[in-house]
Amino acid sequence: MEDMYHADRAMSTQQDIKIKADKVQVYYADNHAIKDVDVEIADKTVTAFIGPSGCGKSTFLRCLNRMNDTIDICRVEGDITIDGEDIYDPKVDPVQLRAKVGMVFQKPNPFPKSIYDNVAYGPKIHGLARNKAELDEIVEKSLRKAALWNEAKDRLTAPGTGLSGGQQQRLCIARAIATAPEVLLMDEPCSALDPIATAQVEELIDELRQSYSVVIVTHSMQQAARVSQKTAFFHLGNLVEYDDTDKIFTNPEDSRTESYISGRIG
Amino acid sequence: MQSLTLPFIAIAGLAVLGYFLAKSRALQVSGGDIRKLVSLPSQHALNAVLATIVPALAAIFLISLYVRLTDGAGSWFFQFVVIGLAVTGLALSLIGIKTETRARTFAERWILGLLIFASTIAILTTIGIVFSMLFETFNFFGQYDWRDFFFSTDWSPNFRGNSDLGIIPLLWGTLYISFIALAFAVPVGLFAAIYLSEYAGPRMRSVAKPAIEVLAGIPTIVYGLFALITVGPFLRDYFAAPMGFGQSASSVMTAGLVMGVMLIPFVSSLSDDIINAVPQAMRDGSLGLGATKSETIRQVVVPAALPGIVGAVLLAASRAIGETMIVVLGAGAAARLSLNPFEAMTTVTVKIVSQLTGDTDFASPETLVAFALGLTLFVITLGLNVLALYIVRKYREQYE
Repeated sequence: MEDMYHADRAMSTQQDIKIKADKVQVYYADNHAIKDVDVEIADKTVTAFIGPSGCGKSTFLRCLNRMNDTIDICRVEGDITIDGEDIYDPKVDPVQLRAKVGMVFQKPNPFPKSIYDNVAYGPKIHGLARNKAELDEIVEKSLRKAALWNEAKDRLTAPGTGLSGGQQQRLCIARAIATAPEVLLMDEPCSALDPIATAQVEELIDELRQSYSVVIVTHSMQQAARVSQKTAFFHLGNLVEYDDTDKIFTNPEDSRTESYISGRIG
Repeated sequence: MQSLTLPFIAIAGLAVLGYFLAKSRALQVSGGDIRKLVSLPSQHALNAVLATIVPALAAIFLISLYVRLTDGAGSWFFQFVVIGLAVTGLALSLIGIKTETRARTFAERWILGLLIFASTIAILTTIGIVFSMLFETFNFFGQYDWRDFFFSTDWSPNFRGNSDLGIIPLLWGTLYISFIALAFAVPVGLFAAIYLSEYAGPRMRSVAKPAIEVLAGIPTIVYGLFALITVGPFLRDYFAAPMGFGQSASSVMTAGLVMGVMLIPFVSSLSDDIINAVPQAMRDGSLGLGATKSETIRQVVVPAALPGIVGAVLLAASRAIGETMIVVLGAGAAARLSLNPFEAMTTVTVKIVSQLTGDTDFASPETLVAFALGLTLFVITLGLNVLALYIVRKYREQYE
C-alpha cells in the first residue's frame, strides 16, 4: 500500500510542465510584494502554496490568470508561461486567458442567479454550447464533477445564494469547471467552510487532479499535506522552498520551512 | 400662531437660565468636589434644559392642533399654560438637584421623549395633510359627480358655472410628460452611473460626480426658463415644424426632455451608490471566468443592483409626476388629450395651481376640484413609493 502510494506520487511528478514562472516580481505601488519567484507547476498535479499571512502566495496565484490586472496599482515583472506561451505578452487577451485558467475564491461568491444560471454563465459567454440540450449537459456534468448534482438537481432554478456555505463553494467550483479550463486556481477555497464541507471539497480537489492542473493556496498545512503532490513555501515575498509535498513536510531543506511547518514561525 | 411668539422666547430664555442655574446649583450641592456628585454639573444642566423645553414644546404642538381643529384663536390662556409648563419643568429639575440625583439617566429619558415627539410631528402632519385634502374633496364631490370627474375626457373650467372637470386629459398629460422624462433620464442616468462606478478613475470620478449632482441643485423654475427659451423653440424649428407636427413651442416633448435632465442626477446618483454596494467578489467571480468587463456589468453587476435601481427609478417617477414649474413653462397650460408629442398639454399639478390662483371662494366646484386633483396625485405617488419600497425590500438581500 505504501509502495503504491509512492509510485503514484512519483508518476504524477513526471508529468509535463504546465506553468513556468521565471524571476517574477510583483509590486503594489512601491511595495515589493513578490521577489524573484521561479516555479514550475506540473500538469495533472495538485500544487499547494503555503506560508504565513501576507507572504504573497495569493498575490502570486492571481498572477497566473492575470487577476492582478484589475488592481490599478499592481505591477508584474518577469515571465510566466503556460504551455510555453508567455501570458503577459501584449498579444495575449487576459479575458481569453481567464477562460483557460479558472479560479475559485476564498469566500464562496455565487452570482445572485439560479444554480443553473450560475453554472451556465461561463459556457454561455464563451459559446461552449450550441443549444439548450448541450448547455443542460454541461451544467449537469459540471455539477456532478463538483459533487453537487445530487443535492442540487431538484432545485436548479433556486437561487445559488440559498445554498449552504459548503454547497456554495462547490457551486463555484462547478462554475469554474463548466468553462472547461486547463488550470484551476483555488485561493483558500476551504477557509470559510466547516470540517465536513472541507473534507468534501478536498475529496473533490483530488478528483479534479485527473483532468486539470490544480494550484491551491491554503493556510492549513494539514490540508496541503492531504491534497497536494507538490508544495511551495512562501515567506516575506520569497519562494523559500519548492519540492514534493512529503519531502517538504518530512525533511525540509530550509530552516525557515522547518520552523513554519513545526509552528515556530507564522 | 402670532400668539405663540411670546412663549417661544420665554421658553428659550428659561432654558438658558436653567442651564446656568442648574450648573451652579450642582456645584454648590457638591460643596466644591464634583466627584461627590453622581452626575456631572453639565449633565444636571442638560436635564434642566430638556425638562424646560420638551413638555412646553409638546404643549405648543397640541394646542396648535386644537386651535386648527376648532378654528378658535389662541388666547392668553394657552400662553399661560405653555410658560407655566416650562417654569414648572425648570423648577422641578432645579429642586431635584442633590448629590445622588441621576441626572444623566433623566436626561436620557427627556431625549427619548424629544425623539418620539419629532417622529410624531412627521406622522401627524402626513395624516393632517390627508385629512385636510379629504374634507375638501368630499365637499367637491358633494357638488360635482365623481363619475364625471374620473371618466370625463373634457377639462374646461368655467367660473360662471357649468364646467367640465374631467381628470383624464390632465392625468394623460402628467403620465405622457413623465414617461418622456423617464425614457430620457433612466438610460442616461444609468449609463452615467455605470461609467462612474465601473470605468471612471478616481480623478475623473471626483470631478464628474459633483458636476452631475449640480443638476440636482438647480431650481426647477430655472429649468423651466431653459425649456421656454431654448429647448422649446429648438424643438419647434428643427423637429416639429419640418416634420409637420405643429407650430407650438411649448410641447410635451420640451417639458419631458427638460424634466428628464432634471431627473438624471436622481437616477445616476442613487444607482451609482447601489452599484458600488455590489460586492467586489461578484465582479472577481465573473472576471475570473473569463467574462469581459461589460459582460460582467450586464450579466452580474446590474442584475445584482437591479432592485435598488428600480427603487431609484420609481423615486424619480414620483418627482416627475409632482413637477409643476417645468410643465408650466415648457408644455403650456392647455388641457388636451392627444398623442402628438409636439403639442402643448398640461398636467394635474399645473391645473391645481391655476384653479387656486386669482379670486377664489373655496365654495365652487371650480376651486374645490384642486383638492380632488391633489388627492388623486397624492394617492398615485404614494402607490409608486410603496411599490418602490416593496421591490427594494423584496430583493435587497439577494447577494448577502
